[in-house]
Amino acid sequence: MAYLDINNVVKRYEGHTALAGVSMQVEQGTIYGLLGPNGAGKSTLIRIINRILAADEGTVTLNGKQMTDDDITHIGYLPEERGLYKKMKVGDHIVYLGRLKGMTKADAVASMHWWLDRFDLKEWENKKVENLSKGMQQKVQFIGTVIHRPPLLIFDEPFSGFDPVNAEQLKVEILALRDQGSTILFSTHNMASVEEVCQQITLLNHAQVVLTGSVDEVKQQHKKNIIAVQTPDTIESNPDLFTILPPDPVKKQDTYIKLAQGVQVRDAINWLNEHYRLTGFTEVLPSMNEIFIETVKSKNAENNE
Amino acid sequence: MNKLGLIIAREYMSIVGRKSFIVMTLGMPLLFIIIMAVPIGLAYLNDKGSDTQQIAVIDETGRYASALHSDDMYNFVAINGDTVANAREFYNKANGSLDAIVIIPHNVDSTGAVNIYSEGTITPALVMTVRNALTDTIETAHLAELGIPNLQQMVDKAHVNVDVRSIKWSEAGEQESSTDAAMGLGFMLSFITYMFVLMYGAMIMNSVIEEKTNRIVEVVVSSCRPFQLMLGKIIGVGLVGLTQMAIWIVMLAVVGMVAGSAFGISNVSPDVVSPEALASAKDMGAIESIMRQTLSINYTPIIISFVLYFIGGYLLYSSLFAGFSSAVDQPSDASQFTTPIILIMVIAVYAGIACMNNPTGPTAVWCSMIPFTSPVVMMVRIPFGVPTWQLVLSLALLIGTALLITWFAARIYRRGILHYGQKASFKDLFKWIK
Repeated sequence: MAYLDINNVVKRYEGHTALAGVSMQVEQGTIYGLLGPNGAGKSTLIRIINRILAADEGTVTLNGKQMTDDDITHIGYLPEERGLYKKMKVGDHIVYLGRLKGMTKADAVASMHWWLDRFDLKEWENKKVENLSKGMQQKVQFIGTVIHRPPLLIFDEPFSGFDPVNAEQLKVEILALRDQGSTILFSTHNMASVEEVCQQITLLNHAQVVLTGSVDEVKQQHKKNIIAVQTPDTIESNPDLFTILPPDPVKKQDTYIKLAQGVQVRDAINWLNEHYRLTGFTEVLPSMNEIFIETVKSKNAENNE
Repeated sequence: MNKLGLIIAREYMSIVGRKSFIVMTLGMPLLFIIIMAVPIGLAYLNDKGSDTQQIAVIDETGRYASALHSDDMYNFVAINGDTVANAREFYNKANGSLDAIVIIPHNVDSTGAVNIYSEGTITPALVMTVRNALTDTIETAHLAELGIPNLQQMVDKAHVNVDVRSIKWSEAGEQESSTDAAMGLGFMLSFITYMFVLMYGAMIMNSVIEEKTNRIVEVVVSSCRPFQLMLGKIIGVGLVGLTQMAIWIVMLAVVGMVAGSAFGISNVSPDVVSPEALASAKDMGAIESIMRQTLSINYTPIIISFVLYFIGGYLLYSSLFAGFSSAVDQPSDASQFTTPIILIMVIAVYAGIACMNNPTGPTAVWCSMIPFTSPVVMMVRIPFGVPTWQLVLSLALLIGTALLITWFAARIYRRGILHYGQKASFKDLFKWIK
């Protein structure tokens, strides 16, 4: 049974539908990518899970039980548009957020010290938030999200505002939290990070789920039977088996071939091996970015028809 | 500590801990003192800086010139022999060294008229000095002329200021009610409510908008109910207001005690009593009588109802401020919503003033029932005595409406805090309530 089960959730606003029956299942201890273009309904869905908004129809269950207001203490939420009280001291601020999530003062203080130490922010504990750099503020924000060790974490564009070094540190922390058993819902436009960290994804478009599954499955489903072949020879097209694609502007040394309908990779490689001096080959799977763009475009084209 | 408590504590500390709060709290009374002291100081400098004016006095009676005493401002010089007819000639001969000529005609005893002549400006201060000095002297002289022994004492004894005391028949018998003090107290209390709501309503507004603009609000409402956040803000800011008031009351009390002891010293040394001190001693007497009246008021019902009306009024208006300000992104956009609130408050204060002279008239009764004006108007009425049923009804209406408005405001608030960009209209707010 899924840890977080979203079942046929509908949310309507005056004049438009933000979610038209969305379902998804998030397994415990995994990182789940919630993808979709702007305005697809991601934020609305996240706010419903956080109980900031109420669904008009459908259910959200957490660990097999219908969610109630008390469950918000089990969630850590990092919104896309985020900020802190500028005039508060860093330590006080983190403790405040922890206590709002139901921690005792002593627990919150201990946890705050542990996290500040981990992010090398110890000497900033008694400084006001406004004196921190933007990157440091983002770290404080992250600590405020995870301080109560919630079993469910929701990150909306967590890497925005981080430089590559800090983004890497953040990624390590997120993976560590997953390994400790936290379930993570991850909403982003950054497809590279989806491929790096997510096991499962759901793609929302126009208030509906248009694609769902594990990252590997999705890639297999969308593969175009393209193989990158490495050989010093010039390969001629063989219409029975494959056609030659134009070379990739970056990896010029590879030859890209597209297999004809029904042809197995093994057959094509065997034939190539007989006729050319093959040094290597790789099956080319589409990037999540390509899948995202392709799916959204084709769905929008369908809607316009 | 529960979440509401946490939010209240944070809100309170975030304002009280600010430097601007400390500056404001200590600076406001100072500002008042400066505003009051500056005109007095400037007038003093004005008097002090001017040259002593040379005033010639032509006294046809020959009896009253000595009543005009020279001081730093005026040097009165009695002129003998000259008559009214050549006064102008005399003035011109002085060639500018003379500022004015006071002529006391021979028939001043019957007409009571004195003239001042000059080619320059005759200041109101000179007119007043001459009038005050001569009035007393001539009056005393007239009494003396009658030749009746101890007449002055008899006149003083006959002199009377009618003291009208209003006595109310109640079940407990006769009870002296003191309208002046009651009026003052009532108006002061309603004005406190008005000021408090306006000042701290604006503070709530800033706090709501600040949370919205720095985007912390979404994190906070993922940890608590928006209603808790709004209520915590209202209570937290309310406590800030009470703290500020308490500090001001203590400051006032200290200043009052210092001033009181200063007056006390001047009272125990009568040999150095100056006319100014005498005048202020008279004022002190008036203040004392008001104080005595003030003490005769039965405070318990007034204080209890003040607290209830204050809470009701504050809750009503501050939740309006909180709800409306949640719908805007910047304080400058808030005026379309806050202007109506302030307008209603101003109307309430005018109604309160109108009700002071007739606290049982129809305007007074109606305005003390309508929840938006009752916190101000009822406080004006209460010191005069209000029928219990009216008090209960008015309070029930106020508390009921305040809770209803708080509920509406909470519905607006939970939508408003997550609403960015396009400015919300009143129409949007009604949609959000639904």
